[in-house]
Amino acid sequence: MNILEVKDLDMSYRTIDGEVEAVKKVSFTVKEGESFGIVGESGCGKTSVAMSLLQLQADNGKITNGEIIFNGKNIVGLNEAELREVRWSGISIVFQGAMNSWNPVVKIGEQIREAMREHYPDKTKDENTKKIIELFDIVGLESSIIDRFPHELSGGMKQRAVIALALSCDPKLIIADEPTTALDVVIQDQILKEIRKVQDVLGLSLIYISHDIAVIAEMTDNMAVMYAGSIVEMGKTSKVFSDPKHAYTRMLLESTPSIVGPKKKLRSLDGEPPSLINTDPYCLFSYRCPNPDDNCQNRKIEMKLTKIDTDHYVDKCCVNCG
Amino acid sequence: MYKYVFRRVYQLIIVFFLFLVSSYVLFDAIPGNAFQNLLLNPDLPPEAYEQVIKLYGLDKPLSERVILYIGNFFQGDFGYSYKHFPRTPIELIAERLPRTLMLFAMVNIIAFYTGFLIGKILAWRRGSKSETWITVTSVFSYTIFYPWWALMMLWFFGYKLNWLPIGKFLYPEKWYDAPYDSDVIFVSMIKFTLVVSVVQILVYIYTRNIESLSLRRNVRFISLSILAILSILYWNSGDLAIQKPYAMDIAYHMILPIFTVTVVAFAGTALLTRTTMMEVMKDDFILTARAKGLSQKRIRDRHAARNALLPVVTSFIFTIVTIIDGSVLTETIFSWPGMGQLILDAVLEEDIPVAMASFSFIGVFALIAHFIADISYAYLDPRIRIQSQG
Amino acid sequence: MSNEKDIAKSIRRAALKKNWRLFRRSKLGMIGLYIVIFFFFLSILQPILFVTGVWNKGVYDPVVGYSEQFQEFLVVECPTEYPTEKYKNRSDCPGRTEVNVRTLYYSDAEVGDYIIQNLQPAPPSSEHILGTDSLGRDVFSQIMEGSQVAFVLGLLSATLGVGISTILGTIAAFFGGKIDAYLMRQSDLILMLPTLPLLFIISAFAELQVWHLAVVLGTIGGLGGSVITIKSQALQVKVKPFVDSARITGGSQMNILFSHVLPNVAPLALLFMVFSVTGAIASESVLSFLGLLNIDMSWGLMIYLAQVEGFIFSGMKFWWLILPAGLSVTFLTGGFYLVGRGLDEVFNPRLRDR
Repeated sequence: MNILEVKDLDMSYRTIDGEVEAVKKVSFTVKEGESFGIVGESGCGKTSVAMSLLQLQADNGKITNGEIIFNGKNIVGLNEAELREVRWSGISIVFQGAMNSWNPVVKIGEQIREAMREHYPDKTKDENTKKIIELFDIVGLESSIIDRFPHELSGGMKQRAVIALALSCDPKLIIADEPTTALDVVIQDQILKEIRKVQDVLGLSLIYISHDIAVIAEMTDNMAVMYAGSIVEMGKTSKVFSDPKHAYTRMLLESTPSIVGPKKKLRSLDGEPPSLINTDPYCLFSYRCPNPDDNCQNRKIEMKLTKIDTDHYVDKCCVNCG
Repeated sequence: MYKYVFRRVYQLIIVFFLFLVSSYVLFDAIPGNAFQNLLLNPDLPPEAYEQVIKLYGLDKPLSERVILYIGNFFQGDFGYSYKHFPRTPIELIAERLPRTLMLFAMVNIIAFYTGFLIGKILAWRRGSKSETWITVTSVFSYTIFYPWWALMMLWFFGYKLNWLPIGKFLYPEKWYDAPYDSDVIFVSMIKFTLVVSVVQILVYIYTRNIESLSLRRNVRFISLSILAILSILYWNSGDLAIQKPYAMDIAYHMILPIFTVTVVAFAGTALLTRTTMMEVMKDDFILTARAKGLSQKRIRDRHAARNALLPVVTSFIFTIVTIIDGSVLTETIFSWPGMGQLILDAVLEEDIPVAMASFSFIGVFALIAHFIADISYAYLDPRIRIQSQG
Repeated sequence: MSNEKDIAKSIRRAALKKNWRLFRRSKLGMIGLYIVIFFFFLSILQPILFVTGVWNKGVYDPVVGYSEQFQEFLVVECPTEYPTEKYKNRSDCPGRTEVNVRTLYYSDAEVGDYIIQNLQPAPPSSEHILGTDSLGRDVFSQIMEGSQVAFVLGLLSATLGVGISTILGTIAAFFGGKIDAYLMRQSDLILMLPTLPLLFIISAFAELQVWHLAVVLGTIGGLGGSVITIKSQALQVKVKPFVDSARITGGSQMNILFSHVLPNVAPLALLFMVFSVTGAIASESVLSFLGLLNIDMSWGLMIYLAQVEGFIFSGMKFWWLILPAGLSVTFLTGGFYLVGRGLDEVFNPRLRDR
């Protein structure tokens, strides 16, 4: 059963330089208990997708088109009160940069309890505290942290506490938006294990967003590759990795070192990500593509995912390129 | 750490010493002296003037007088007022200060409370049409030409509508056979205000830990009602029942100055709160709070406003430092005989002992206020609390 | 080399353009800018009117001009008890075209007669848009003159003050140690002195004119609290990587100070400047209002005159003596304040709404 279905999602930001189309015609589904990865370089619209799932985009951002069906209900266009019910108890999120996710002047425990109070108004303080201690146990934190202020914790501890916070209202889906970016490698690994464990134990669905394709390979069952606001390739993680079709996916893979397998020269991606203001519907990767075909160069085929295999989709423009 | 504190204190003493010396030299630089108008009296022989000058030691050279004054100052001897002779500057300050404090403590409490509330709402409604116009109005009420505004208010409420008294802090005819001095009443009014505000703050702090929001609101409401009932009983009991009509008279005279200054002062707080709130609202933890599904009001009050409070408290404390400075104009216009008038008269009439005592009082006041500022920072921001322990 | 300079120039121009676009988005800033421009226009209009001869200096000069205004008055006798049928309260009698018989010492006119009298202060007319004051001087021209005074004084003292505090603040941040301690204690000292009484003292031993006052206000402002703020900003800039890299590549102390630290402190300094214009104009008005300055004409002085001559408590009957000057001070200082808020939104990305 699908817990989340995103259909033709468009989202744009009004800025001083014009309308930035950050998310263009994005569609994907997440099944119950599944983990879904979104990968792409900075500014490709990953975080915008995450934000529009909770409809937390900045004031100048707007979902212009599309549906987000969560648990069988379209949540686009719901009012604030209805959205508040979906947030955290339906979909919760682990933000990038846990350092700033905590209000510096309120104790950790109080910040978690606050969310629980909102969604379970009938529970007493003791019940809430008991649950927080259980959650802390799952993510490997001591119970004394409840009475600490955020600045008294290390980065790793804060991130674990953020995961506990995300779990506090029994969400069905967790979005992890680059949860390990600001941490050192050892802690990163621990946190990833923690997320995996939590997902297995509680049977949650997970959307994992990262620029690090290796992490995506480790963490997810299905994945999508985003470029300039659109999904260019999507499918089972194993398939995308073993047989990447889109030129961009291939370049992402070639730019990441691999410990196993033969030694290869790393390739870097030339060029800058394109501006997303007033774009046309054609492939935006063509000018960075190492060997584009005629279709691509003449900018004739509009971008659209096509099925090339079971559970493997790629952008129409780039089916044969590369 | 200790070394730092020691150096800081030592520097402060030097600054205070320089402050005393430069103030004295400044007062002395004003042409003429306090007794010059004796010369205008044709009946008085010129020798009398000479004698008076000699009596007060004004014939000595400046350097000698400065050394003498500062020597005496640190022994706790502030001399006698030139103009109000047998009285000492300390007596004068002790008489005037409660009047100024009472007036401006009220103004600041009201102004900061309403300013913070309004600024918080303004920041939250950012970009809307009403926000723009309220902000522009606050800017103009902040920059309004103060003496002009005060005179207009006097004219409108005191003269045209005849609702409120023009100037002075009491009706003399009413006090003709009063059993108390006005200072006694002032002191008991200040005591009352202090106790009430401390109790309110305590209630607020202790109810903060109540989990249920509605219960918290009810507890606060009930305790405030009890406080109100208690204060009515207090003012009707024994000694205070006699003081009440006189206190009411003073309170009635306070309405207009309080209103006039508050309109200016609240706008400053509102604008400051608006700016800091707007900064805080860009912080990531606001996004987390929204993702948690908290209500707008709760995000605003609990997360944004709490973090925006720090600069506002700073400005509150710096305003308290400048109370006496700021009271000069208000007290002149409303004929409110407080510290501001005392200092102004002392400067204009070159009553050096009184002026020096008032100036150094302001200086010490400023130092104490800075100290309080440091402590309240630590309370409001746990990050600082840790640093000061380590 | 010249190519590099061109590039630098075009970058700077683009940045300026972007800042201007950001500023234009700020509604508050634009409202403020319009107000400031309006008063600037007023202040340059007056000399233009005099030079082109539209205004005769003898009549319209804000200080020594005199405009003859004669009018017919009805002689009445004011009642002793109010209200009566004709007059609601004491300030309504005599009316605008009436004269109280008890004040006519030099004339033998009786109640009911019409006499011709000099009408000063005269209400607004086509010749005098805002009427004249009690000495027959054109109020509109005085407002324009006051506007010149406000601009000269505000900008001069703000530039001086911000110049001083920027230089001292960066020096304190850059050299630290004893210099820093000295400068910080110096601002403590200035902050401890109560401003208004201090200005009284200064005005008592010197007849202050606009220039003097600008220098005094600028110096007090420049040595006081703003040094501390500028210093903390400069300290933040000092530890930025580009300053380190300039040092590593062999930039001299002075070079680093002037070409790296100062430009990065400049936006804050500009902001301070705009806010201190507000303060300077307000201080001048207060001092003029108390009659402590030796300035021929200013908005504060206009209010002062209206107050000493007792027009304030005659209410709105002589509104042109009270409202224009007071509103001008309020609006110009408010205008500068709003411009400052707008600039704040340009320089502080956390304040932008998008």
